[in-house]
Amino acid sequence: MDIVVCVKHVPDTTEAEIAIRDDERGIKQAGLVFDISEADNYAIEEALLLKEEFGGSITVLTVGPEEADETLRMCLAKGVEQAARLTDERFEGSDSFATARVLAEAIKDMDYDLVLTGVQADDDGSAQVGVTLAEMLGIPHAALVVSTEAEEDEDRMTVHRELEGGLHEVLEIELPALLTIQTGINEPRYASIFGIRKAMKKQIEILDLDDLELAEEAVGEAGSKTSLVKLFIPVVTAQATILEGSPEEVSSELATILKNEGVV
Amino acid sequence: MLRTRKFVEQYDLLGCIQCGRCTAGCPLSLTSPLNIRSIIYQALVRDKLDVKQMPEIWDCTTCSTCTLRCPKGLDPAMILVGMRRVMTEGGRVKPTVRDALESTFKFGNPWNRGKAKRADWAQDLNLKNLAEGAEAEILYFVGCTPSYDDRVQAVTRAMVKAFEKAGVDFGILGNEEICCGSEMRRLGEEGLFEFLVEENLELFKRYDIKRMVTTSPHCYNTFKNEYEGLDFEVQHYTQFVADLIERGELAFSGEVPPTMKVVTYQDPCFLGKQNGVYDEPRAILQSIPGLKFVDFDRSRERSLCCEGGGGRMWVEASSTSGERLAETRVKDALALGAEVIATACPFCMLTLEDAVKTTGAEGAIEILDIMELVAQAM
Repeated sequence: MDIVVCVKHVPDTTEAEIAIRDDERGIKQAGLVFDISEADNYAIEEALLLKEEFGGSITVLTVGPEEADETLRMCLAKGVEQAARLTDERFEGSDSFATARVLAEAIKDMDYDLVLTGVQADDDGSAQVGVTLAEMLGIPHAALVVSTEAEEDEDRMTVHRELEGGLHEVLEIELPALLTIQTGINEPRYASIFGIRKAMKKQIEILDLDDLELAEEAVGEAGSKTSLVKLFIPVVTAQATILEGSPEEVSSELATILKNEGVV
Repeated sequence: MLRTRKFVEQYDLLGCIQCGRCTAGCPLSLTSPLNIRSIIYQALVRDKLDVKQMPEIWDCTTCSTCTLRCPKGLDPAMILVGMRRVMTEGGRVKPTVRDALESTFKFGNPWNRGKAKRADWAQDLNLKNLAEGAEAEILYFVGCTPSYDDRVQAVTRAMVKAFEKAGVDFGILGNEEICCGSEMRRLGEEGLFEFLVEENLELFKRYDIKRMVTTSPHCYNTFKNEYEGLDFEVQHYTQFVADLIERGELAFSGEVPPTMKVVTYQDPCFLGKQNGVYDEPRAILQSIPGLKFVDFDRSRERSLCCEGGGGRMWVEASSTSGERLAETRVKDALALGAEVIATACPFCMLTLEDAVKTTGAEGAIEILDIMELVAQAM
């Protein structure tokens, strides 16, 4: 089973101080640690598990700057065969639609049975690239996938999707297909430092706009359907009330408040 | 899969005479199927070992009782670490271990806490920050767990209080301090350890560090014995503080606080067994006015490990039968009539505090670091 996985190199904002750039269209990156977007890490693991069971090869793709090689190398260290990075100044300002278009151009002539993406990226959380990419590639998709079952040489596979209220939906899907992978579907393996160092020897293919059959107007801001107006940090409003007194007094006061507010 | 031929050479296993002193002294043999003597034997007679099927190799706390007892000078604890390397370098580790390793690589600490929060414990203390241009004779290397853990932060504050009282010229590295790598190495992540060694040596050079005192015996041990190229004096705080007291630079108020109690002491394996520091912690405790010191029966070289070392803070035991060693320790202390178990290691403090809760001994016994007792008596 040949699999293409799309990943994104994003800032890990664990307890980090987030500051907005002066142009209000991004965050300041100094001092931030970058890593693979969490759901994409699960997508990589799912691809590795499928490969271990059915054979085939995995290609990892990213649209991003040179620093994204760190994420690609981590994927190579885990057992991915090929990696390619799509980098071009003219891609800058691409929204989810234009990003999906860049990926679609890179993927469309490849041989694959499955395309995997994370369900959404940790930074913009838009959850659109995967499903848009499926549409552009003209293949079926399933989003929010929480488990996969495949059989040797079958042209269909079974996937479970997570729905609201704890429901699971089971789908059969025709291959090739695109799945957006939900976190928790597996336990991603660890990429050791020695493994990553060894992966330094593997080639990362670098593609720019001229390598794709795309016009300049099809990417970047010109090729986007949405444009980012501004980013801001919501104003913190202090609305907490601290109740004081004995447990009996506090609980009765709390009950009164909840009743008055129409919560219970 | 571990190919044994090279491994046997690398760890000098042909030197093993199968005398069994390692296994006979192993504190984990009380609770785990871990049998280091048998593992060495298998490595000698088989071509390969399926380490994936040997979950007990993760039970070892690398306390090094086996190493201390081996008449042939082998290091059985590190043989197990060598086996863990096969698993870790192949990416096959428990999620808790994976998260600790990834966090250490990204944020310089195994607790998945932000780099920018590392020195928050010292925010109101106005300490010299050597990474911000201040100069001092001594670097106080705080360590990851003391920096981030709410309970252990009380120890670092007690340390600062004592250092200031004694007029010690010291500073910290603030948010630039990173993990020493001791536990990462013992989790089988040699590459990450090497990375941290390089990073730390560069930091120490950049800020012209000439002498260091650590909170944790784990940091102390690795800096002192495992950092090639570190050329200044490293001390555990118990050595440093015992010296301050002996030279009269740190004096107690002289009044016996009415709260002074019967205290016993848990020898941290990385301080005692691995570095022979047994006397200094006891000297500090015995110098505290009014404190009644009683030693455990199993103390010093025979001390019972708390199960917090060797990466075990991130690995649950493979077998859940039997009592945790820290629980045994709490019960032993109660039988001894102790009201406090004094510790000199953040991991001992956390494992013993858990054991106080799980044995229902809350109220009967307290876990306090030596520095907390010192600070109380100043």
